[in-house]
Amino acid sequence: MALNPMDIYKLLPKTNCKKCGEATCMSFAFKLLNREKKLEDCKPLYEDKKYERQRKKLEEMLKPLEEATETGLIVDESLCTGCGNCVVVCPVHVEKDPKGAAVGNGPTIDDPILRVEDGVVKVINMQACRRYGKNRVLCVVCRENCPSDAIRFLEG
Amino acid sequence: MIMICPGCSCLCDDIYIKEGKVFNACRRGNEIFAKYKENRAVARVDGKEVDVDTAIEKAVEILKDAKNPAIYGLDTTVVEAQRIAIDVAEKLNGYIDDNSSFCLGELVEAVLKGEMPTTTLDEVRDNAYVLVYWGTNPYHSLSRHLSKYTYYPRGKKRPRGYDEDRFLVVVDVRRSETAVLAKKNARFIMVDDDAELVDSFVKVAEGKAAKYAKDVGVIINEMKRADFNVIFGGLGLKYGLKDLNQFKEMVKKLNEVAPVYFIPAGFHGNMRGFNETLFERVGHVNKYSFRDGKSGEEFAFTELLKNEKIDAALIVGTDPVYSLPFEVSSKLGKIKTIVVDPRMSFTAKIADVVIPSAISGVETGGTMVRSDGVRVKLEPLEEKEVNDVYILNKIKEGL
Repeated sequence: MALNPMDIYKLLPKTNCKKCGEATCMSFAFKLLNREKKLEDCKPLYEDKKYERQRKKLEEMLKPLEEATETGLIVDESLCTGCGNCVVVCPVHVEKDPKGAAVGNGPTIDDPILRVEDGVVKVINMQACRRYGKNRVLCVVCRENCPSDAIRFLEG
Repeated sequence: MIMICPGCSCLCDDIYIKEGKVFNACRRGNEIFAKYKENRAVARVDGKEVDVDTAIEKAVEILKDAKNPAIYGLDTTVVEAQRIAIDVAEKLNGYIDDNSSFCLGELVEAVLKGEMPTTTLDEVRDNAYVLVYWGTNPYHSLSRHLSKYTYYPRGKKRPRGYDEDRFLVVVDVRRSETAVLAKKNARFIMVDDDAELVDSFVKVAEGKAAKYAKDVGVIINEMKRADFNVIFGGLGLKYGLKDLNQFKEMVKKLNEVAPVYFIPAGFHGNMRGFNETLFERVGHVNKYSFRDGKSGEEFAFTELLKNEKIDAALIVGTDPVYSLPFEVSSKLGKIKTIVVDPRMSFTAKIADVVIPSAISGVETGGTMVRSDGVRVKLEPLEEKEVNDVYILNKIKEGL
């Protein structure tokens, strides 16, 4: 299931108290999703008893954030069949590995982003992904071509 | 060491094992390499454990005494073993059949007889533009088909990737996992009756109106843009059509407007190998009777078993108790059965004689034939002396 900032916002106190350092609860929700802030930064949520139910819901909702890699990629190995579509379509692989992943074979470079190991896809080198770092591109090619929905991103 | 995966007819040639991990193989391929030591068969005669030679001797005895013996399976073994199995069937004057009689044998036969133009998967990777998956869901049957050979890889004449340089068409009765991948530059046609779609292709190629004219018109126009298009036909195509000639006519008609090739898709590792080996010998691909000197529906293993026409069966590398309907497989209990298999399959558990063999591609080498007819040489991880070739040779000598 995709996470979106609006759903997070709805469960926050919505008082714009600024205790977290953000101007509004909405901007805090965005930063939570980008993992620039932590839920614990929202003081009223933990101090005030009336928010307890909301807090528990939020904790549940934000669990995938912990599983996800730095780029927001989540791989569910139990769904993966190892078809390798993601490995072959990745534009970074095509550029760096023209004789391997680009032409359909397993990657021949040492540090591919994704590689099929023991029959399922594994994340090897997230830093090379176009979604990584400051100048990121929100590329979703691997997810678009996953026939079993084993790959998803935090934003959907 | 680079290995060939014998898991399906893709025969992927980029698998390697390092530090106990299997790289690049799909989930099915991985199981073969990672778990090949599990659930191994042991030599048995009437449920009692014996040594291999005793089991082979008993097998020879059963086959000698049999009036109507049949040989069945052979799709997961190598061409070299298939040749000897055909010799054994000839010597016994019996029947020989493999899974292709209810799988894609008919389509392979059409290709081998030259009734439809065909090509290789390497050519497809480099040149193909329109790719039609008809009645097949490679997500299940050939996991790496799309990523290794057809839709996703960049080829010499198709360097720009799938969304610009390929046109994917999926024909199926349901929205399969492969159909979900047909997004941009693609078409998914959900059919009720394959014959109607075949008819639409023929009519639109002639410039007439038809049921699926809208989609088919787009596809034919795309085909005209390229000099290389392919149709991959699966079980849905075979069982969806009552008469395959209709389809062959369609391919012929399409070739009048644009080059279209056909490759059967989706079967056991070396099913095409068996079809080709038998075709070279007798001119038929499966369900052959050496006694009658011809091939026919009544000689399919399932029919022979159902109609109680055989009294002994030599089953090599397949598990009919698991894969055939109960009303057919239950008849195995009435006849003498010899199972040659690396694993303790369900059929091995009920067999009179079990001869443990080696897993082709892991414990023994040899030749296998890919779905497009390319012969691939398999190198084993470790060599095991008692393999299908050894066992079948011993049986042949014994007879």
